[in-house]
Amino acid sequence: MQEHASLPRDAAKNAAAPHGETGIESIHLPSPTVWPMVLALGVTLLVAGLITNAAISLLGAVFAVAASVGWFRNVLPHERHEEVHAPVSAAERAAAVAASAGPRPAPAAAAHGQRRLTYSFLSGIEAGAAGGAAMALVATAFGMVRFHSLWYAINLMAASSFLSWSNASDAFLSGFHLQGLLAGLLIHMLISVLVGLLYAATMPIFPRLSLVAGGILGPLVWTGLAFSLTKSVAPLLGARVDWLWFIVSQIAFGLTAVWIVNLRIRFLSAEFQSLPFDQRAGLHSNEAQRSAASEVRQ
Amino acid sequence: MNSTGTAVLASAQPPRKLWLDHVQEWLTTVDHKRIGLMYIGYALIFLVVAGVEALLMRIQLSAPDNHFLSPEVFNCMFTMHGTTMVFFVGMPILFGFGNYLVPLMIGARDMAFPRLNAFSFWISAFGGLLLYFSFLGGSGLYGAGSAPDVGWFAYAPLTAKLFSPGHSTDYWTLSILLSGIGSVGTALNLIVTIFTMRCKGMTMTRLPLLCWLYVVTSWLTFLALGPLTAAQIMLCLDRFAGSHFFDVQAGGSAVLWMHFFWIFGHPEVYILVLPAFAFANEIIPVFSRKPIFGYPAMVAASVLIGFISLGVWAHHMFTVGLGPEGNAFFTLATMIVSVPTGIKIFNWLATIWGGKIRFATPMLFSIGFLFQFLIAGLTGIMLSVAPFDWQLGNSYFVVAHFHYVLVGAILYMIFAAFYYWYPKMFGRMLSEKLGKWHFWLFTFGFHLTFDTMHIPGLLGMPRRVFTYPADRGWAMLNQIETVGGFIQAIALLLFVWNMIQSYRTGKEAGPDPWDAWTLEWATSSPPPHYNFAVDPVVHSRRPLWDRKHPESPDTHYE
Amino acid sequence: MSTQAVALKASTEEWRLPDKGKVGIACLIVAESAIFIIFVLAYVFYMGKSLSGPTPAQVLSVPIVGTICLLSSSLTVHFAVVSLEKNRIALSNAWLALTILLGGIFLGGTAIEWRKLIVDDGLTIRTNLFGTTYYSLVGLHASHVVVGLILLISVLLFGLAGKLDQSHARRLDVLSYYWHFVDAVWVVVFTVVYILGR
Repeated sequence: MQEHASLPRDAAKNAAAPHGETGIESIHLPSPTVWPMVLALGVTLLVAGLITNAAISLLGAVFAVAASVGWFRNVLPHERHEEVHAPVSAAERAAAVAASAGPRPAPAAAAHGQRRLTYSFLSGIEAGAAGGAAMALVATAFGMVRFHSLWYAINLMAASSFLSWSNASDAFLSGFHLQGLLAGLLIHMLISVLVGLLYAATMPIFPRLSLVAGGILGPLVWTGLAFSLTKSVAPLLGARVDWLWFIVSQIAFGLTAVWIVNLRIRFLSAEFQSLPFDQRAGLHSNEAQRSAASEVRQ
Repeated sequence: MNSTGTAVLASAQPPRKLWLDHVQEWLTTVDHKRIGLMYIGYALIFLVVAGVEALLMRIQLSAPDNHFLSPEVFNCMFTMHGTTMVFFVGMPILFGFGNYLVPLMIGARDMAFPRLNAFSFWISAFGGLLLYFSFLGGSGLYGAGSAPDVGWFAYAPLTAKLFSPGHSTDYWTLSILLSGIGSVGTALNLIVTIFTMRCKGMTMTRLPLLCWLYVVTSWLTFLALGPLTAAQIMLCLDRFAGSHFFDVQAGGSAVLWMHFFWIFGHPEVYILVLPAFAFANEIIPVFSRKPIFGYPAMVAASVLIGFISLGVWAHHMFTVGLGPEGNAFFTLATMIVSVPTGIKIFNWLATIWGGKIRFATPMLFSIGFLFQFLIAGLTGIMLSVAPFDWQLGNSYFVVAHFHYVLVGAILYMIFAAFYYWYPKMFGRMLSEKLGKWHFWLFTFGFHLTFDTMHIPGLLGMPRRVFTYPADRGWAMLNQIETVGGFIQAIALLLFVWNMIQSYRTGKEAGPDPWDAWTLEWATSSPPPHYNFAVDPVVHSRRPLWDRKHPESPDTHYE
Repeated sequence: MSTQAVALKASTEEWRLPDKGKVGIACLIVAESAIFIIFVLAYVFYMGKSLSGPTPAQVLSVPIVGTICLLSSSLTVHFAVVSLEKNRIALSNAWLALTILLGGIFLGGTAIEWRKLIVDDGLTIRTNLFGTTYYSLVGLHASHVVVGLILLISVLLFGLAGKLDQSHARRLDVLSYYWHFVDAVWVVVFTVVYILGR
């Protein structure tokens, strides 16, 4: 009779017995992996390239191949597992009550003691605002030097949304237009804040390279993008932009933004630079949650 | 806004996780429960999207000579509504429940191929995104976008390059191709899991009926999605490589596409309805306090459906003119497939008969399902008669019939499943009060819309017309349908609100709130990552009954 | 009480379940078969319905060598599995290499055949219904051969790097089922295209 009623109860007792008082059962579960998702994305892009652009297919193919290799290495020669510890005492009561993975000591984090790293959205917005101001200074200087007008640069910015303005005369663009001022400011502030947030999020990942990457390379890449985009989307507008001044204003933005982000986050300190990559990137706040992925033969 | 993300580098107390941690966990998860929830969540989003499309069409049809939607947009709407509901709502939500429940019910810790499982979900999800990207990029990246507008079964030669320039049809075919890969992957995973991961003692004759039905569904998925994939490849070749499969000018056949599509299309109905049967098989016994009546007959009926439903597809094509032999064969086959379905209905009734019925929300929806599925089946038998179908094929009668199946039967059981398993998934009960409001409001709206919809069909209103003249006498009926549609939408909003509200403030569920008998209720709610700390062992079809009633276990009677 | 005794006995027996890989590959084969059936049906349905030439009788010649190679590769891959099960790695590698060679010859034969059809006979997928159905059916099969070859080659590379041992025999066995399936499909394609269709 007893046997029938046993469901997990007695089985649990038996299995837990060797562990004695601890009552902790070690369970192997497949470790999480991003590759299936990347492979799916790759295949989708590969197919989507047929109806959009061959470059998208190419990107998809790269994703798909990389993901296939990654997936393969995840399974072969031996499937990757992670260990989870389940308190079996819970199973002894009604099959299982709220049981969860027990916290484990985190060896990596221990060395760094009690220290707080604060990522702040506010710092990103501040950096964007400061960078945007620096950029506006340079751009206005350009307007003053070339066209003797305070408003030229902001009108040019507004012209990216009022496409009819790209045909307008220099005199028109040099004048004051409330519409242009509002639109230009709005676009400028929006982009500045977004890029500032991007900086606050990404710069700490590569602290050693931040000044070069954020201050110089980023602006150069952005300029290149803007150049090619305006060339194909709004050629008339592109012809009006002085690209040398454009680069200078972008670099002014980049350097200022990196500086402000660093003031807030202190990622240039030696202490921060010594952290492992995934913690710098903010991918893992908590070593304890990551069970060490151990390779176990199945 | 201000410093929301905080990374704490400490060795002592376990700190709060970054939101990025959560994102990463969900993106990289291979846990069947999380993948199941992602399937369900993604299907619910598409349910809302496709529901809005339906409402737009209902507004357009609420008055004669209406110009709320242009004919072009109306075409896009019915195409997207159908495609989305079948491929990106129905299949994912049912696979989501399968993913979540099957390993728990058979006492396993995960699916057989956890990584394939994640891949299948993501490729279906990206397929759905690609379909909706067509609104932006339908005519190619640089043109104005337009969504597919060829109808959800995309008959040739409408899909030929000549009649469907641009890329809108390509979006349709490619996104379905992608989601098909995902469906086959998940179906494969479900079958392998059920066959090879059962816990000790769970023989195939003790398998919960839900798992049996998922076996049949997966089997049908292979045999239905294969032809669909093949047909989509042919269509792609026609459109991209210039081949002539469905090109009538070069001797190709438009009817061949119809055959290929419906070889997929009819089993697809069973792919969608079998999981609904599966939910009913679990819910009805628990709320009648009786074991399911006729377990072997239920299994046999399901397997029979799995075979017979493969041979009925051409009843969608009676109006093409199949000749007397074809008409006779497919009429008879269609009538025969209603036999195992009838067996099921009688078994459910026999399960309820003499039971101690609890009218909780899951049971209410199940009873609604029984009635409405019966009516849907009856109109189905009417339509299986070829001469009747010649009269009413492609009319609103047909639309009413299949919405009775898809909404009245399948969606009702999906709602029942939500009310029944939500406590397991999130550890909290859904509000019964809101649930009853949801049920009665939705039932009222459903009958208002879809009972009425039969009549304009009988009066000759064809489906897919974007408007109609005032003198036909359809206006009043259509207005009633539209009102019903909005009542259903309100009920659906109540349901969504119930899920959100109960997640925060619902009553704690505990491991087994319904006093049920299958293994998923043996673990905590929500279940831990590993499902069961110790692999369970079962001795009967109702392991939890055995545990709760050691004096009279099921093993004595099986 | 007799039923109870039976149940008790059953629970002490060893609990056996089918192999994951085998069930999985069986499912894949069912799904793939459904795809091939539709392509074969399309081929048969359009047989002799092309509005213009060239017809199969004019341009197709029976690929005897390729067919023999592909069919015999089923045997060699089986021997590779058997040798790996007995932990004779070098022998298994040799059988694998032979399988890949045979599969390669088959693909090469198809390539030469297609080149002749396209360049000499002017038959492309756009020419007529024969071209449409022929290239898609044979191409679908050839793409399965390519996938199989890629997988076999990666196994061979692992074998040559010494990373293969007895414990992998189960996985290679699953792969060999796929290869047998590809061969079986060829028997059908061959019959339909080169015998019935000509």
